[in-house]
Amino acid sequence: MTEPASASRLQLTENLDLKAAGPLRSELLTLRHTPLDLDASNVQRLGGLCLQVLMSAQATWAADAMPFAISSPSPAFQEALSLFGAEDLQPFVQQG
Amino acid sequence: MDPLEAIKVTFFQECEEQLSELESGLLAMEQGETDSETVNAVFRAVHSIKGGAGAFSLEPLVRFAHVFETTLDDVRAGKLAPDNNVVKVMLRAADVLADHVRAARDGGVVEEARSQELAAALEALNGAAAPASIVSEDFDDMPGLDFTPLTVSDDDGFGDDFGFTPLAAGIIDLEPEGPALRRWTVQLRPKNALYAKANETGLLLRELKRLGDIEVSIDGSELPGLAELEPEHAYLSWTIVLTTDRSQSDIQEVFEFVDGDCDLTITADQLTSSLPMMGEASIDEPFDVMALIQQARADVQAAPAAAIMAEILAAPAPAPVFAASAPSVPAPAAATATAAAGVAPDAAHGAAAQQATIRVDLDRVDRLIDLVGELVINQAMLAQRVTESGVPRSSNIAMGLDDLEHLTREIQDSVMAIRAQPVKSVFQRMPRLVREVAAMTGKQVRLVTEGEGTEVDKTVIERLTDPITHMIRNAIDHGLERPEVRVAAGKGPEGTVRLSAAHRSGRIVIEVSDDGKGIDRPRVRQIAIDKGLIEVDSNLSDEDVDNLIFMPGFSTASSVSDISGRGVGMDVVKRSIQGLGGRIAITSRPGQGSTFTLSLPLTLAVLDGMVVSVCDHTLVAPLTAIIESLQPKAQDVRAIGPDAYVIAIRDTYTPLIDVGAMLGYRTTPLDPTKGVALLVEGEGGARAALMVDAIQGQRQVVIKSLEANYRQVEGIAAATILGDGRVALILDVDNVVAARRREKARSDAKLAAAG
Repeated sequence: MTEPASASRLQLTENLDLKAAGPLRSELLTLRHTPLDLDASNVQRLGGLCLQVLMSAQATWAADAMPFAISSPSPAFQEALSLFGAEDLQPFVQQG
Repeated sequence: MDPLEAIKVTFFQECEEQLSELESGLLAMEQGETDSETVNAVFRAVHSIKGGAGAFSLEPLVRFAHVFETTLDDVRAGKLAPDNNVVKVMLRAADVLADHVRAARDGGVVEEARSQELAAALEALNGAAAPASIVSEDFDDMPGLDFTPLTVSDDDGFGDDFGFTPLAAGIIDLEPEGPALRRWTVQLRPKNALYAKANETGLLLRELKRLGDIEVSIDGSELPGLAELEPEHAYLSWTIVLTTDRSQSDIQEVFEFVDGDCDLTITADQLTSSLPMMGEASIDEPFDVMALIQQARADVQAAPAAAIMAEILAAPAPAPVFAASAPSVPAPAAATATAAAGVAPDAAHGAAAQQATIRVDLDRVDRLIDLVGELVINQAMLAQRVTESGVPRSSNIAMGLDDLEHLTREIQDSVMAIRAQPVKSVFQRMPRLVREVAAMTGKQVRLVTEGEGTEVDKTVIERLTDPITHMIRNAIDHGLERPEVRVAAGKGPEGTVRLSAAHRSGRIVIEVSDDGKGIDRPRVRQIAIDKGLIEVDSNLSDEDVDNLIFMPGFSTASSVSDISGRGVGMDVVKRSIQGLGGRIAITSRPGQGSTFTLSLPLTLAVLDGMVVSVCDHTLVAPLTAIIESLQPKAQDVRAIGPDAYVIAIRDTYTPLIDVGAMLGYRTTPLDPTKGVALLVEGEGGARAALMVDAIQGQRQVVIKSLEANYRQVEGIAAATILGDGRVALILDVDNVVAARRREKARSDAKLAAAG
């Protein structure tokens, strides 16, 4: 497996609302088949569509047997995950 | 007044507010403040007006507002730059919108040419904005569905309020708002359209969270891999378990803006479900908005659409929001229209609604009240200084001070009146509650209300609903008998519950009485013994037994019923009343019914008091509790026991309480002949004579909470600041009287144990 250091690190944008879903998906797709580390420290808003993208990405990465992690979640991001009941993503969230 | 009419009245009042919001927002935009907050505020104003107008089928208004909103949406989305030209058109459009609102309210027509000209100008601005045209088509396709506009986007952000939503609130909130918690399962499956209209699931979940505790689980089973995922499509669904004391309609209200765009079922947890009558059908069968709408679409006639609209309208939103923002709006008579016989029709209401009112931020009023309180204290200080300086009573200064005192008092009264509201807003929720509880218990009940116009401070009103709701439930569930039992007892089959309010010596007294079977004292006593609340051989008067029902953990219903047996007993009612500085008392006559009497202060801010001194301390006794004051004569005072005395006042022996000893100011009792006795009456009529050293005078004092600043002290209700700047404690007369009785009971018990 690849070392965490070589993982693609993607800074999630502040506002993951409806309009961000499309761009986020494309961006993630370009990083497919690489270990992925999403930096959620800037996220202030997470909407349902972006949540779908993240969940789908997580499942896709898992299917590809690639490491997938979400690091340094902002409080807003954490709060949104728990609001959505997004248990599927919680294990991949790493404090930092 | 027709309930719908009443809502309409409030809607137009809200409209006026929205219009002024709109105008000030647009003016701000003209000044260059085009940040999203301002634009959103403007958008919301128009959106809210449109939503409400749609509900009332105000076609021309909706049509115009829709065009306006579409343009604003473009501005909001950044597709249209709000330059001066655009804002000018919008300001004119705002005027036309105001005309439309007024035309809809007062009848009449807006100059069609002008309206169309502006609509055209607006449309010219937004050009060919795609989402807008979709909405337009939708809208035009379904002339029968007046509420379509409600589904138009509102994505201003999380936790945002939904403009008009609070309107539906205060008015038709007839749901019983008991403290009972219920579990609801909400299944939510957003459709693509929900997101396409810029709504947000997170916002819905957040709204639900506001209603109570939620447990959210997400279902991502339909979610495709990232490559196959359409970012704008909705794949997820949610199951939310909501524990709340709100009604089903409150929950539905959350989804009001997305009701065509998601599959929604709201089911009550079977174990705890108990919504009667109206709610029944929709609880047992999942409430499916989509199905209803499809049905309506299939049958585009005004009738079914109107029915759905009525249903949506009937969904109350959280009431406090509205109540807090509209202290001056007389609560509409929605309830009275269908209320039980005996409710006086409110002729004055229509006129009152027309009166010019302003809405003021409650904080401002509170601040004013606070300042007036300080003024009163200051005035008292000044008066004291003048007295101390030896200025004769007849001097100009003293006379000027007297005038000042009158004036201060008048200002104070007027300020208090600002916050006063009739208790009607609480009373009018009760008829529906009575009907529902009656239906559930199979009893016939008539509700009679009296004194709805009685005014009391807003803070008191807000906290009255729960206790009254609970007492009425109790009265019907525990008090009234079933029809056949009543007939057998020689009464009419229909029971009466009477709810009345009146001003009595500076307090508001609210009574809930029933003509049922009264309190079953032997059973109450037995239950109290079983639960270990009292000793088996306790010697209790009837009154004492009645008061047992206020003890924590007491519940008389042998089978826990849906209505009142939710584990919330009368002790909670008592506590909440006490929290308001009030008292609750019960009188009951077997076979004839019970009466619960609440006595509450009109305001929580000032008090007329008798200033007395006890051992160099200054205390204040509430004037309302004092019947008379006298100087005891030696021959009137009798000792009973080692340290208990009674005093004979007009041939009646009354317990004599040494306040100084009770509060721990002195250890050797005061010689009764050297002091003054205040004959006081506690709630429930218990009398006692309080021994103090001397009376200083009578004064109005501003109450400062002791609990908030220090902690609760036995025998002390609150504190105040005197003219000389010193803190004086305000006696809690009832507590003092009751403490004396408790002590007596303890010493009796000791004697009994010894003997």
